[in-house]
Amino acid sequence: MLVEMALAAIRTSALTKDYRAGRGLFDLDLQVSSQEAFGYLGPNGSGKTTTIRLLMGMIRPTRGSAYVFGLDCIRDSAQVKRRVGYLPGDVPQFGSLHGGEIVAYLGGMRGGVDQRHVRAIAERFDLDLNRPFREYSSGNKQKLAILLAFMHQPDLLILDEPTSGLDPLNQQEFYNLLRERQKAGATIFLSSHVLSEVEHVCDRVGILRSGRLVHVHAVDMAETEPSLEEVFLSFFAEPRPKALPP
Amino acid sequence: MSSLLFGLRLSRWGILGFSLAALISTFIQAVGFYQIAGHTPAEHAAFGASMITLSSQFVALFPTPLRPDTVEGYVQFRGFNPLAIIFAVWALASATGFARGDEERGIVESELATGTTRPALVAARAGAFAIGVLVASAAAGAGFVFGVESGGESVPARGLIEACALLAAVGLSAYAISLLVAQLASARAATALAGAFLLALFLVNSLSRVMSSLSTWRWLSPFRYYELSQPLPPGGYFDVRGLLVLLAIAIVATAAAAAAFMLRDLGAPLVRVPSPRHRPGFGASSVPFWNVPVARGLYERKLGLLAWSIAMAVLAWVFVALTRTIVQVLLSIPTFVPYLSVFVHQKLYPAVLGYTWFDVAQLMFAALAITYVARWSSEDTDGRLEMLLSTPQSRAAIVLERMAVLIAASLLVAAVSGVVLFNASHAAGIDLDARRLVEACLLLVPFVLVFAGAGSLLAAWNPRAAVGLLGAFAFASYLDNELAPIYKLPAWVQSLSAFKLVGTPLLNGVDGRSLALMLLLALAGLGSSILVMQRRDVGA
Repeated sequence: MLVEMALAAIRTSALTKDYRAGRGLFDLDLQVSSQEAFGYLGPNGSGKTTTIRLLMGMIRPTRGSAYVFGLDCIRDSAQVKRRVGYLPGDVPQFGSLHGGEIVAYLGGMRGGVDQRHVRAIAERFDLDLNRPFREYSSGNKQKLAILLAFMHQPDLLILDEPTSGLDPLNQQEFYNLLRERQKAGATIFLSSHVLSEVEHVCDRVGILRSGRLVHVHAVDMAETEPSLEEVFLSFFAEPRPKALPP
Repeated sequence: MSSLLFGLRLSRWGILGFSLAALISTFIQAVGFYQIAGHTPAEHAAFGASMITLSSQFVALFPTPLRPDTVEGYVQFRGFNPLAIIFAVWALASATGFARGDEERGIVESELATGTTRPALVAARAGAFAIGVLVASAAAGAGFVFGVESGGESVPARGLIEACALLAAVGLSAYAISLLVAQLASARAATALAGAFLLALFLVNSLSRVMSSLSTWRWLSPFRYYELSQPLPPGGYFDVRGLLVLLAIAIVATAAAAAAFMLRDLGAPLVRVPSPRHRPGFGASSVPFWNVPVARGLYERKLGLLAWSIAMAVLAWVFVALTRTIVQVLLSIPTFVPYLSVFVHQKLYPAVLGYTWFDVAQLMFAALAITYVARWSSEDTDGRLEMLLSTPQSRAAIVLERMAVLIAASLLVAAVSGVVLFNASHAAGIDLDARRLVEACLLLVPFVLVFAGAGSLLAAWNPRAAVGLLGAFAFASYLDNELAPIYKLPAWVQSLSAFKLVGTPLLNGVDGRSLALMLLLALAGLGSSILVMQRRDVGA
């Protein structure tokens, strides 16, 4: 059991965050192995961001536990983050700081960031770090968030809808970066609304509905098995009104 | 109509806060008059004469009071006139908040997308502010009524309505002017530019009372038209034309702001300043401060720190320059001579400087602490705290570093203002005890920490409410120090004030017990804020 915990990059047990009125995350038992790319799918409000914020120790569980590389996400939060690259769902506001200052600020707090690696990522995404954050478009803000998540070459990437706001070319560049990081030994935990994206990038996909993990789908399955889209729709294809009221 | 209601909804806390402040302010001044002005007509007359002599020192800020020997004249001078300045500051914050703040947040874009025209939107927001400022002015009037009734006197209804109308009109004209200026500048510079413009208009009028060369320009200032009337005191006067001019300024400036808004791109200023050629870069900043705890926080706030240091240095210099005149005037007031005789065995000028400067310095340092707490709160709500916590820093480390940055910043500002105070007073022939001055300046740091500790706890507990609650705490603390002696409240009530704990260090040295209490309060705030921060959900 202990060995299994140490091998798993992420492991949760009955992890619950109850916001009342049926909202939140309930009894999540999940294990993501090292070097695995795990996708996290679900409609809005299904608990994806809550799971991610629990793993990052930003919010405390109502009950249950979460471990990253065998470390408790709350008790050992600082040690966990040494090995994690995090991309939040909403890019924070850095006001008038320049892109390069934000990278230096957070890099200074983290320590051990290779400046050559920073430059390489910024050049790949054509992200001008001499501009104030205030002047960035939403796409450039997202590129900066990607840079901040990848700059210290983490062992685990926790990414909340990472391609939101990126154009198709930059999305491809992001997928390339993700694959390179995975080849270098990193684990990926990625939430998304886009079926094709998780199918393209991930080894396994967890499907959330109303705060509960209802299915884990292995992407690389035999053709006789149902596709991810079919599985996803089987959980969410409830009858809806066909037209808006006049 | 929905834009107007939305504007009211967005500004509800401002309306509530300024209405309460106006109500409390006029009520306290009215009640305070009955406490300090004496009971007989002779005592009232002596008090009024003292107020007129004292007010001559502040003629560069406020006009000379009319009949301060009456509650109406006293409240007009101490209550309504300062409220005109406070309402102008509110107008500035509200107008620039709409013109640029809401625009940056995308609220304006969303409203325009509903089909609302730009002039209609400007009119709706100006209308919402007009309603708000009318409510706050009425609250000022109500505070006066309650205060006067506590003294068993009757209220001059017509004068009161005129005073409230003037207050609302000056607020409205300040709003319209700020709104117009904010259209011209970039979002980052709008508040500063509009604030500087309003300040210039205020100073043109107020300084024209002591500098005759400015009197030809004072017609430009809305504050001039406010001061044409003093409707509240017996024998007061009300200039209808002044009120109409204020309303005309409000209407014309609002219309001009709407026209400017139509001419510019959303998010862009009407007047574009050419920027230097931009060179793209792909590297992180090479400034070494970013790698050093505390230094990175100071470096990030470098412009703010520079502004605080310069402002405090200038204030220190101004107070030294005013000290001699203030002392001469105080000596000319017979009722103050016995009071001043307390200082006979001390040096009178350093004593007065110690009282006046450190009173203002405490207020400014409390404001410094509040601005830092505002920053901590906004870091929480705009997602920056979440990013900081995604690095291998514990929550306790983040709280401690924030506090250390504030300590370093207040030390720097205290040192700069202390050095200027020492040199300026030396040049003016006022000899300050260097050791006591250093102690007094250093004492401002634990004073800041009392507010910072409370603010840190509030920001950890409820970041959205932290600034308002800390501002109320600072206001209550200040009032406690100012009013508890007047109302003869028990000593322990007076000791609750952080302002009281500082004491008069330049005159009497540092009181060890008060210092220990301040440090204890700061530590209690810091410790509890760490505990609360560790247990709370960030960004929830």
